[in-house]
Amino acid sequence: MLAGILRRVGRRLLASIPALFGVVVVTFVLMRVLPGDPAVFFSSGPSAGKEEIEELRRSMGLDRPIPVQLVRYLGEVATGNLGRSMTTGQPVVVDMTRRLPASLELTCTALFIALLFSIPLGVAAALRPGTAIDHIVRMLCTLGVCVPTFVSGLLLIYAFYYLLGWAPDPTGRIDIFASAPPDITGFFLIDFALKGDWEGWWAAFSQLLLPACTMALFVLAPLARMTRASMLAVLGSDFIRTAHAMGLSRLRIIVAYALRNALLPVLTITGIVFSTMLGANVLVEKVFSWPGVASYALDALLASDYAPVQAFVLLMAMIFVMVNVTIDVLYGIADPRVSVA
Amino acid sequence: MAGGAWPASAQSRAETLRYVTGATINTLDTTMPGATREAFGLSMNVYDRLFSFGRKKVGDNWAFDPDTIRGELAKSYSISPDSKVITITLRPDATWHDGTPVTAEDVKWSLDRHVTAKSLAAPQFTTGSLTNASQFKIVDPQTVTVTLDKPDRLALANLCVCYAIMINSKLAKKHATADDPWAMEWMKTNTAASGAYIIDSHKPGESTVLRRNEKWVGGAGGALPSFKRIIIQTVPEPATRANLIERGDADLAIDLAASDLPTIEKSAKSKVVSIPQTNGFTHISMNTQMAPFDNLKVRQAVAMALPYEDMFKAAIFSRGTKLYGGTWATVPPDASFPQAIPNKTDLAKAKALLAEAGHPNGFSTTFAFTAGQTATAEPMAALVKESLGKIGIQVEIQKKPDAEFNTLESEKKMPLFTDGATAWLPYTYYFFYLYFTRDQRWNFASFKSKKMEDLTLDARYQTDKAKYEEGCKQMIELFNAETPLIMLWQPNHDAVMAKSVDGYTYQFYRQADFRDLKRV
Repeated sequence: MLAGILRRVGRRLLASIPALFGVVVVTFVLMRVLPGDPAVFFSSGPSAGKEEIEELRRSMGLDRPIPVQLVRYLGEVATGNLGRSMTTGQPVVVDMTRRLPASLELTCTALFIALLFSIPLGVAAALRPGTAIDHIVRMLCTLGVCVPTFVSGLLLIYAFYYLLGWAPDPTGRIDIFASAPPDITGFFLIDFALKGDWEGWWAAFSQLLLPACTMALFVLAPLARMTRASMLAVLGSDFIRTAHAMGLSRLRIIVAYALRNALLPVLTITGIVFSTMLGANVLVEKVFSWPGVASYALDALLASDYAPVQAFVLLMAMIFVMVNVTIDVLYGIADPRVSVA
Repeated sequence: MAGGAWPASAQSRAETLRYVTGATINTLDTTMPGATREAFGLSMNVYDRLFSFGRKKVGDNWAFDPDTIRGELAKSYSISPDSKVITITLRPDATWHDGTPVTAEDVKWSLDRHVTAKSLAAPQFTTGSLTNASQFKIVDPQTVTVTLDKPDRLALANLCVCYAIMINSKLAKKHATADDPWAMEWMKTNTAASGAYIIDSHKPGESTVLRRNEKWVGGAGGALPSFKRIIIQTVPEPATRANLIERGDADLAIDLAASDLPTIEKSAKSKVVSIPQTNGFTHISMNTQMAPFDNLKVRQAVAMALPYEDMFKAAIFSRGTKLYGGTWATVPPDASFPQAIPNKTDLAKAKALLAEAGHPNGFSTTFAFTAGQTATAEPMAALVKESLGKIGIQVEIQKKPDAEFNTLESEKKMPLFTDGATAWLPYTYYFFYLYFTRDQRWNFASFKSKKMEDLTLDARYQTDKAKYEEGCKQMIELFNAETPLIMLWQPNHDAVMAKSVDGYTYQFYRQADFRDLKRV
């Protein structure tokens, strides 16, 4: 079975290479078609004249024809050089390796919180369809998905930081006066735990909680709704009736038989939700000054800063591929019939 | 949480200034093309220049004073009788951050770099007739001379600007390569400075931490800055910055939304310091090379049709100085600029002028602004559209992303738009030279006038004060007669800070100078 999984993973990864290549080329061309000249934007000093703009354009390699730029860029990407960001002045690879863990940590925590609430809510709603519980769950989900994340984020900040003073100030991953953990994995919670610094861990965690809840609220709806729908379908099927007939305990039927089978579509949607969250949490990152990749890419986009945007899209495409492969593998574990094919 | 870390270091919290900003420091070398305004601010605190502008009281607050120039790394200077040779004596006790002494050799290397390397310093320095390395000579280890071909009035002032950093040449040269003799690549991420603060850590887009240079001698009267530690933190959301200041967790911010200011003015822990941007102006530009704005009467009609008072209230909540409604007619009362231009709303006259110009039924045009200035420009645009509509000019409002707007502005493709400008060297002649001559980006209205070129050229090398002022008045007169762009106002620079912070000074580069601040 393990060999089978590995073979499938390998095949999937190979098959994704043309798609990634396409993404790189399309982003590359798209960035250059967009109006806005980065050379003009960045030479905005009080004395920047025509020659300075030309010089900057030359140093950015933008004076050459687009096909030549593309070939050069592809060569650089192949060697792991993603260019230099004009917005931060750093190589994009350096920025990304520092910022990606921040985004991943936030997204994973948010997803965890979302799953923690949405699955029980979805199950509860499915067990009592049409009752008050079902309606309350539906209302919660609608509310979560309707309120834009920057509104819920600002509201949470206003309530928990500004009025109540329970939350630390919503600026970044750790209190600015405290020291960051040693850079081991880039995930603050893991790094603090490895170092055994629980006070630091708590500081990082309390900083993480508000933005993670904001994001979790937003994705509660698809997860809970999907759990409910899928649970309803499974609960109505023959094998559940059989289980009831055999007198198995209600808890055992719901958790071991119904939920396990109902989780397959939830797993698929979780994969999609995760990839979307990673790219779409730009507003949460902005509101909470979270130094993640999404806000980084947005800043770069507004400044017509090509390299970071291209790198971001490539990274997202790669993560999307990885998530899909992972979901595939998990699928196989949840439902052994899949891996036979 | 924060509570755990503070009590033990309450003293150091008082000695620490936490500055929150929406922007990013993208280079440690300000002379690099693409340096952000935030990078200029950092550089002023980390690097020394040979000279520095003094400061003066404007109302209750402080602003930089371009008319007093004091030595920073220079202990003293003298100018030859023909105004062509500046002799600069260095401070004998000045040292670089690595402890080595500042020498004339370092100064010469730095100045050479600014006029030779392909950086933004070179074009800036040409405005002070500093163009060639042979102009800078070492007399002895403490003395340097700067020789000018002509007595350029801005030579000394140019040595005060953000680009004119003095660099530890021995350190920089160690990191220079054959391709990069001026160590430009290395200096983007490293410093070779002597300034008031030393960079402890720098994470672009997150935070930068500075500590005081205890051996700094460049201060006014040799005084050290009051704050021992500065934390510059990027907080992109203006509402969050406002919250931080109001709660007293952050000490200073300068780029809050105007709508947050009234709340902060009432709050118990924070205050607003509003200083007119004496070196800036917000304007509506018309492309003088593009029909129909190539017609003077059309430009005058637009200038008379604008609802100045309503715009002043709606766009900036009256937080600024008016540059319209001047009480003179053709000859300005003095040589200062920007000053109030005699523009006022007169729709009947505007309509008549438009008819004279051959557009009795008006015409259609676009009015553009950058997304970055939405808060002020959007209400302004609506008023412009309404008011110009009354005289028959149909206006389509265009809000453009910053990069696109800058490109269109640079390529002179917009007929009518609004933008702001600030001049580092706020001398009347320099305003006209920078904004109303030559085919270059900052000539917003693409204004072409032989007379203006001649006037600015003469003023530049004019050593007679009376003649210079007469020339400046003529420039203002010409500007008013030709109306290439319409002056609106000088917006206030609003710095928001904890009640305990004092001494904030408005600087020509519109950033916080931490050296002036103290906690009281």
